[in-house]
Amino acid sequence: MNKRVYLGMSGGVDSAVSAVLLQEKGYDVTGVYMKNWSRDLPGAKCPWADDLADAKRVAVQLGIDFRVVDFQAEYKHKVVDYMLTEFQAGRTPNPDVMCNQEVKFKLFFEMAMEQGAVFIATGHYAQTKDGQLLRARDEKKDQTYFLYRISEEALERTIFPVGGMLKSEVKALAAERGLPVAAKKESMGICFVGNVGMREFLSEFLPLKPGEIRDADTDAVLGHHESAVFYTIGQRHGLYLGGGLPYYVSGKDMEKNIVYVSRDLNNADLWQTAASLVDLSFISGRAPSDGKYLVRVRHQAPLVPADVSFTGEEATVVFQSEQRALTPGQSVVIYSGEFGEVCLGGGVIEPPRSKAKKQ
Amino acid sequence: MHNIVYLDHAAATPVSEKVLAAMLPYMTGDKFYNPGAAYLPAVQVRREYEQAKDRIAHAIGGKGSEILMTAGATESINLAFTAVGAVGLDSEILVSEIEHKSVMEAARNARSDFRTIRVTSGGIADLDDLRKKITPRTRLISVALVNGELGTVQPLSDIAAMVRAERERRLAIGDASPLWLHSDASQGVGLLDVHVARLGVDMLTLNAAKVYGPKQVGALWARAGIKLQPIVVGGGQESGLRSGTENVAGAVGLAMAIEEAERTKSSELQRVGELKTAFIASLYHTLHEKAIAEPKKVAIIGEKKRQLASFIPLTITGIDAERLVFALENRSVLVGTGAACAASRGEHSHVLRAIGLSDEQIAGSLRITLGKLNTLENTKRAAEIIAEEIAKECHRQFG
Repeated sequence: MNKRVYLGMSGGVDSAVSAVLLQEKGYDVTGVYMKNWSRDLPGAKCPWADDLADAKRVAVQLGIDFRVVDFQAEYKHKVVDYMLTEFQAGRTPNPDVMCNQEVKFKLFFEMAMEQGAVFIATGHYAQTKDGQLLRARDEKKDQTYFLYRISEEALERTIFPVGGMLKSEVKALAAERGLPVAAKKESMGICFVGNVGMREFLSEFLPLKPGEIRDADTDAVLGHHESAVFYTIGQRHGLYLGGGLPYYVSGKDMEKNIVYVSRDLNNADLWQTAASLVDLSFISGRAPSDGKYLVRVRHQAPLVPADVSFTGEEATVVFQSEQRALTPGQSVVIYSGEFGEVCLGGGVIEPPRSKAKKQ
Repeated sequence: MHNIVYLDHAAATPVSEKVLAAMLPYMTGDKFYNPGAAYLPAVQVRREYEQAKDRIAHAIGGKGSEILMTAGATESINLAFTAVGAVGLDSEILVSEIEHKSVMEAARNARSDFRTIRVTSGGIADLDDLRKKITPRTRLISVALVNGELGTVQPLSDIAAMVRAERERRLAIGDASPLWLHSDASQGVGLLDVHVARLGVDMLTLNAAKVYGPKQVGALWARAGIKLQPIVVGGGQESGLRSGTENVAGAVGLAMAIEEAERTKSSELQRVGELKTAFIASLYHTLHEKAIAEPKKVAIIGEKKRQLASFIPLTITGIDAERLVFALENRSVLVGTGAACAASRGEHSHVLRAIGLSDEQIAGSLRITLGKLNTLENTKRAAEIIAEEIAKECHRQFG
């Protein structure tokens, strides 16, 4: 009997090629489309039906089993509601991290095990070794930043078939095998809603709450915003404050509903030498010892050296060099090894406490 | 992709060479002018546009002045349903429960009550039910000439007789309120009689895309005297009902397509009928060869005697038709998916539901529609391939 693998198939090229690779290694593959979100937003059709069709088309072409599981209720509860709560609290959450933790490597994993699978697989760019999470071979595509909260238990039974490949190799293999998704464009915007920006998405769910935009340095009122949740620290776009040098969001006061901006690229609020992390999570389930690590402060950001110390439920990260626009709600992910090849886990960035908001 | 066998003519047809050639001068040639311009070459284009409408009207036994050009059948239907809004609020629309979504939504959208006419399990509008549902408030009845999923030809002339009787009844008691019959003839043109007087309709929707003409080109024939309301406002073209510079190439394309359709109608009906017979024979023969234990699982749906020759709607109980569609596309056979795909996405076809199919039957339904791209040879070959893939799916599913 071949070992049974449940492969999450999104309709994209990475999971399609994953199916090919698993099949070639002799696994008994079942493709599973996770239906997490199907609601259309005004002016943007949710791509789920097309994605499902693409995933199924690949499964039929390869002759593998295929099924659809409906995780919509759980996804709404665990990912979307969490996201909205975080935004309302003035933070910038990461739905991908949450989706991996709660849906793909929990619900899907549990379902697969219950139904007799020995492994799960996904098209993520990451690698595993002895229950450790390793960075992908394709550094530009590495997705460990989104995977740091998954459990060791799940990871031990997870295969990332494309983690050792470059994206270009994945695409070439897809074309060579004549996979119908070989030429599919990568999705833009929020992963689950399709071609929609976060602003449009939030407008659907949260009431607009106009307030002031103030100059962080002079406290002068520069204009007004539609809703403070739309603004993220360090963001440059969307301020519409007239000509001259661009403004950057340097802070937010959710209570007073004020967005602070600065033209000063060196504004102290935009640069941090340290970050406090909460809501820690580690692949092994245990925090590593205090010390020097390589860390990543956002997806695709370079690994940077930092001193990390753990105290109970929190961690303090002191960067070797100043970091721009650390975003509360996003994560700092911690890597060990000479080149930071092992992803240990991480935590969620807290708003800087040392810098009191302007009165 | 070459050697494709296309079996989805109800979804789209290729523009014929003849139609394309007729259209080109109005796009790239010396007739690109705006038909509203004052100079003579433009006036000439304007005349040719009107002639195209005359030709379309002639093909269905109407007058050119009764033709309104639209961007396809959906728009024609939307336009037809504005007639109800023009006659006040106390009104009711009756549509068959297996009408296309465009009719259902236009009916819902009209400022009027709307009720559905039941259909038989064979997919034919139930005349007794219609008779019961016509009331003094009924203003519009809409029933497609041919159902787009089942291919069932609807009893339009019987319905028209009922409409005439109701009008007569109203007039006899001094009630001059209107009652119109609209029909979407998209799926019938080219094989059936679409003469408006013989059909007995007051409004008829035409669609170029289904008769080897261009997509986004349609027409509404509306008997003189029916007041419609604008659906696109602007420069006042199409009697002010649908503004925007006239699509002359499209009108000429539809005219050419419908003339061609009328010319080849009877021979094509016979030819397609022979293809259908051959298809079914070949399908069942191969299914037996492949030892599908229960050929009963494979059934043609819709009332056979009333089914248009080009339609072969199948249901294979218990299998996922969408898988079959993908498996067939890998073998270069393209079959209709509409209902099946909707089903796999949790939206069950209201048509298949209305004729009493189970969820399993709906999920296992395919629509095969024949047309000019089919020959005896490719039809038989496709039937064999379809039977082979059905057998594979059945073995997967039932062992």
